[in-house]
Amino acid sequence: MSLVDTFVEQIPAYVADELDAVARRQVEEALVSSAALRGELEQYQRLFVLLTALAEEDVSLSTAAERRLMRHLAFTWYLGSAARMVEGLFGAYGRAILHYVGGVR
Amino acid sequence: MPNFLSNRTSEAEVADATLVAEAQAGDRRAFSALVSRHQALVFRVCYRILGNDDDAADAMQEAFIRAYRRLDSFRGQSAFKTWLMRLTVNVSLNERERQKPTVPIDEFHLATVNDPLTELERAEVMMQIHQSLQQLPANHRAAVVLRDLEGFSYAETAAALGVPEGTAKGWVHRGRVGLKDLLT
Repeated sequence: MSLVDTFVEQIPAYVADELDAVARRQVEEALVSSAALRGELEQYQRLFVLLTALAEEDVSLSTAAERRLMRHLAFTWYLGSAARMVEGLFGAYGRAILHYVGGVR
Repeated sequence: MPNFLSNRTSEAEVADATLVAEAQAGDRRAFSALVSRHQALVFRVCYRILGNDDDAADAMQEAFIRAYRRLDSFRGQSAFKTWLMRLTVNVSLNERERQKPTVPIDEFHLATVNDPLTELERAEVMMQIHQSLQQLPANHRAAVVLRDLEGFSYAETAAALGVPEGTAKGWVHRGRVGLKDLLT
């Protein structure tokens, strides 16, 4: 097995700083003597720069979607409360009807 | 040196546990507080797995509805965030499975502001990596999203994906290799 084959799998973990000290040192020694591994290293370094930029990208929920979520949760909550009340009055039969009608908890 | 990040995480978990107990006892405001705390994370994960705004909003809603309906079964064996992430990833992957193979990338979040040239270049690069992410197999994509974009530990990533840690590591690795190949 070549030097590249032995260490190429560890390059992404090396760039992500996930290797222990021993493995890290072995990768660094391999990098010194292999241009192909250094090429892999550059590609993964670029990938991690892009991933960092993507992680920092603003991905925010719209106000409309947030309101819709809260309305839906409130509805589900009230339906669940109603089911418990109906169950108290009519037993499991009443709850089964509400479950059928609205998919309550 | 004190680990401030761990302390913050731990405090957040304690606060979550309190809110979960209150919500389980029937306090709707406590559940709303949990939703408010985690909706940004849940939406981001849904968006990054599904690739567009509308499907992400629907998946987020479904994830929270499931969380509400299953809240009684949450026993606190993991952090609430991890449990919620597992629901979120499941919902998103199921939704993804239902969809066509290619999903248009939502440009809404790539809107440009300030310096037009810099922002345009940035938007193009972001679009490129978004598209590459969407081409990965779903489990590899979810693993990369949790580990490399959300900064989860491998243990948290594994718990959220419902797989052993070794499997999660393998998926993250293959996702990174896939992205590297797609981007070069």
